[in-house]
Amino acid sequence: MNLYVLLIPILLPLIGGAVLPLFHFTERKHRQFYIGTVVLLNTIITFLLLCMRPEGSIVILNMAGRLEVALHVDGLGTVFAAIVAGLWPFATLYAFEYMKHEGKETKFFSFYTMTYGITMGIAFAANLMTLYMFYEMLTLITLPLVMHAMDKKSVRAGRKYVFYSIGGAAFAFIGFIFILIFGNMDFVYGGSLNMDLIGKREELLRLMYVFAVLGFGVKAAIFPFHGWLPSASVAPTPVTALLHAVAVVKAGAFAIIRITYYSFGTDFLYGTWAQQVILIFAMVTIVYGSSRAVKEQHIKKRLAYSTISNLSYIIFGAALMTPAGLIGSLTHMVFHAVMKITLFFCVGAIMYKTHREYVSEITGFGKKMPVIMACFTISSLAVIGIPPLAGFISKWNLASAAAENGTVLSIIGIGCLLLSALLTAIYLMTIVVRAYFPSRDFNMEKIADVEDPNWLMKLPILVLSIAVIGFGIYAVPLMNFFAKIAAGLI
Amino acid sequence: MEGNISILFAVLWPMIGALACFIAGRMDKKLRDYLAVFVTGIELVLFIILFTKVWNGGELYFVLHDFCARGLWFRLDGFRVSYALITALMWMMATIFSKEYLKKERNRNRFYFFLLLTLGATIGVFASDDLFTTFIFFEIMSLSSFVWVIQEEKKEAIKAAETYLAIAIIGGLAMLMGLFLLYSQTGTLAFGELYHALQMAENKAVIYIAGACMLVGFGAKAGMFPLHVWLPKSHPVAPAPASALLSGILLKTGVFGILVMTCNIFAYDYNWAMVILICGTLTMAIGAILAVFQVNLKSIIACSSMSQIGFILVGVGMQGLLGEHNQLAVRGTYLHMVNHSVIKLVLFMGAGVIVMNLHKLDLNKIRGFGRKKPALLFAFLMGAIGISGIPLFNGYVSKTLLHESIVEYGEVASELGISSFITGIEWIFLISGGFTFAYMLKIFIALFIEKNDDQAAMDAYNKKYMNKQSTFALISIAVCIPVMGMAPGIVMDKMADFAQGFMHGHELHHAVHYFSLENLKGAAISLSIGAIVYVVLVRMVLMKKRADGVKEYVYVWPTWMDLENSSYRPVIGVALPFVGAVVCRIADKTADGCAALLANTVLRPARNRRPLQYCSRFTYIVGDMLDGIVAFLNRTVCKKKPLKFSFVNFFTVSTTEVRRTSTLITRSVSFGLLLFCIGLLMTLVYLLIVA
Repeated sequence: MNLYVLLIPILLPLIGGAVLPLFHFTERKHRQFYIGTVVLLNTIITFLLLCMRPEGSIVILNMAGRLEVALHVDGLGTVFAAIVAGLWPFATLYAFEYMKHEGKETKFFSFYTMTYGITMGIAFAANLMTLYMFYEMLTLITLPLVMHAMDKKSVRAGRKYVFYSIGGAAFAFIGFIFILIFGNMDFVYGGSLNMDLIGKREELLRLMYVFAVLGFGVKAAIFPFHGWLPSASVAPTPVTALLHAVAVVKAGAFAIIRITYYSFGTDFLYGTWAQQVILIFAMVTIVYGSSRAVKEQHIKKRLAYSTISNLSYIIFGAALMTPAGLIGSLTHMVFHAVMKITLFFCVGAIMYKTHREYVSEITGFGKKMPVIMACFTISSLAVIGIPPLAGFISKWNLASAAAENGTVLSIIGIGCLLLSALLTAIYLMTIVVRAYFPSRDFNMEKIADVEDPNWLMKLPILVLSIAVIGFGIYAVPLMNFFAKIAAGLI
Repeated sequence: MEGNISILFAVLWPMIGALACFIAGRMDKKLRDYLAVFVTGIELVLFIILFTKVWNGGELYFVLHDFCARGLWFRLDGFRVSYALITALMWMMATIFSKEYLKKERNRNRFYFFLLLTLGATIGVFASDDLFTTFIFFEIMSLSSFVWVIQEEKKEAIKAAETYLAIAIIGGLAMLMGLFLLYSQTGTLAFGELYHALQMAENKAVIYIAGACMLVGFGAKAGMFPLHVWLPKSHPVAPAPASALLSGILLKTGVFGILVMTCNIFAYDYNWAMVILICGTLTMAIGAILAVFQVNLKSIIACSSMSQIGFILVGVGMQGLLGEHNQLAVRGTYLHMVNHSVIKLVLFMGAGVIVMNLHKLDLNKIRGFGRKKPALLFAFLMGAIGISGIPLFNGYVSKTLLHESIVEYGEVASELGISSFITGIEWIFLISGGFTFAYMLKIFIALFIEKNDDQAAMDAYNKKYMNKQSTFALISIAVCIPVMGMAPGIVMDKMADFAQGFMHGHELHHAVHYFSLENLKGAAISLSIGAIVYVVLVRMVLMKKRADGVKEYVYVWPTWMDLENSSYRPVIGVALPFVGAVVCRIADKTADGCAALLANTVLRPARNRRPLQYCSRFTYIVGDMLDGIVAFLNRTVCKKKPLKFSFVNFFTVSTTEVRRTSTLITRSVSFGLLLFCIGLLMTLVYLLIVA
């Protein structure tokens, strides 16, 4: 097969989104149809590609010397591409309804669709150069989405986002340069460093690894570089749901996994201080994120803090640097994406229908919004890690990988995971309990106007909640696939 | 998927039934009530069939590979099938009773849904053959039974439910931690493969830590001291059928877990058995004392549950201590579990009858309600006598076995030099038994013998107080108590023989003479202690004369002794969040704080600088020059249409704008980051050139 087909999932939404303003759609329906077709088509093409998984990589562009833009499809890329491609149509469907009251729809959907292409570029990147390029582009293309409302708050959030991200990318760039000099830019499972070239500069390189992880970690919201994420929750819900729970932040985690397992290599890092530093960063973030979430009263921000903590679960798994750790990390990457997007959708639906944003305002919603609150409850239980839902499996995988490692730090890590699970239970169950069990003297008249949204919103939420249950009950094929990735087979 | 699929069906059937009831309840309330009874009935029939299958030889097992990525492993042996059968039976009775009890309640649909859901999960726990499977169903059970506690949505109910949920979740997480540690050491979680895991493990300390974590999880559910705090609060606020099941069955799931650990992982391990024994003794004694002091009917029965769990745990501890010769302890533990389930169901349903008529639980307010009510009297009497350990009733048999096992260990203990310790345990055991008798006497006399001083209330008692179905549920269970107790050799010994394989108990060499003088003496000591406690403590200390001369029950338990309010809540609810908030705030401010520090020290904008009128000299000069050109042009070229534009002004405005933005940027953290990165890059380039 001609490998140029790998360009299609990247270019189709990019071009499709870019030309959207040229069409001047007069009717909302027409625009929705157009966007829907582009997104759906791209998802289908992506999944076809992922099923066939063509061998080898292709150089699209040679910039200078060893700086090449190249694409391929490997196991890890497949996982990320599948998450993104699987969730994008749902998010789009949801956005159709949600964006009605936000305005400036053409601009929004144009950038929203273009982001799809860039994210696929990250997934299919065959070397660090390509990854870095798409990573920077992702920052820029999502900026208008964060600043969508263009009021003072969102402009400030956008500015914060861009500064943090560019600062982070500069950090990451350091690692990039070192890989360029001391290794091979292409991603090879097990690392591509050239030990002869390194000689005695091992410690320097480990320092560079830490810099690179922290750099990419800005997007993955590692403490203390997490500040942009809660502020960015001023963006419209489809953006927070898809980008700040899935695409953008997972791109950061994805990049960290890439450089750990495919560039620097676990042999070079396992058991060194560099690994311990990253583990500690991840553990601190896990506990920090969930404790902040407990204190936060704005529901969307609470979920943002929850995301911060959960992203570090992924990084924690990756930083264990064992195959089991990678499996745990990937599992959580996939499952967290599904669970968190559902939670955000539910909260978005509440905000859209009732304009209530704070935890204290949703008392008694259980009866009034049965579908939304049921889905919210299921996903909450899953995020906490209640068996047999999806989140339980990923947490089990992560913690048993840590237990297998057996070092003191990883045992403390299990403690952090469980502590965070407890905090998760507190910050999510308070919402659920409040919604379902208002005290006897609560006046239901106050929320008489509350009701479920229409099917455009309910459908994605329902499908994703069923997925949360389904993944939990039957996850074996997925686990086998991850095991193959972790063994370096695909 | 392999084995007997009916086990899976038994677990899923109530869950499906729960959904069906929920849907049915939306259409027709009556239909829903009958459907719920039907679902539990089918479950009961199913387990009767499974029970006979296992009885006639052969264990049943079922494996569902791939579920939840680790598979579900079920096995029904004597112990598990009999407990599942008891569960199904109790559930059916409680469901029948719910129909009348909940007649005037709100949210009944929700209650039935979670009632049946919990049944499925509980069966799952009792049928599990792998700690992972146990854990899954344990969690589902904990969460769905939470709805029972919060069902009435009153203030106390919400508070109690909070505690329940917190303990359940913390316990669940502790258990999970234990599972991880155990799994990392043994590589398996199947019961059978864990036998003697401790002896075989290289790193014994880890196994002990794992065991401690799991003990927190299971012990919390069992109501073991000091994790019992949820128990006396949750039972009184839950609807009666729910509290009957909470105490009769759900507590036993915790005991089940502790048994699995004691009989497999820590089989015959001295240290472990000692921990269980001490915890059990404390639970037994504290529960009994608490119960005597309570004035609320349901609280007394709830604290009694806690105390009885203590008796069971003493048995579990003795199993470990006695090693290979633990037959008596094994049988005593199992039989006391069964007896307690039966008795508590009767007592709580009896309490439910009172609540549904009077909506009160205070002993002073419900005084004399039981007079002239033979059915209620019979049920309560059976329960009270059974639990007090009076000969010819079932509680006596199991308590005798437990007592004998302690006595049996006395000989070994004297060799080890801890005989005084064991004697102490024996006496605490007997005294707790006495307290049991005392608090039961307290309830019984208050309800059935004393009269209420309020004549109007007395008159109101004389009406129909329960329907036929409830009477059936109550009486049919109450009858079991003497039947089991009067022919221990026929009923109870057979059951114990059937179930002991699970705990690796050996065959009994000689039959126990339950009614020998030795054993009757123990009961006599206990009962006389109980009578003394009742007369001295309850009648004299715990009853005060009111102004009008009527004696009243008073609650004199000091509030600071409440472990939950005096230590758990302040620590978890106030101290920890405070410390956490301080740490978080400091952590939060590190980045901003560094920026602020820099801004106020190194990067401080110079003060006292006189603001230039036109911003900066440079822009003023350039602007002035350009203005000169404009003026020149106006005079020469554009005479007709003179340009009206001041460059000085324009520059001033735009420079101020630029300045303002740039200060904003330079003061932001992100800018600091950027600068830092640039600095790093330069270092890097330097390093590269030098290296």
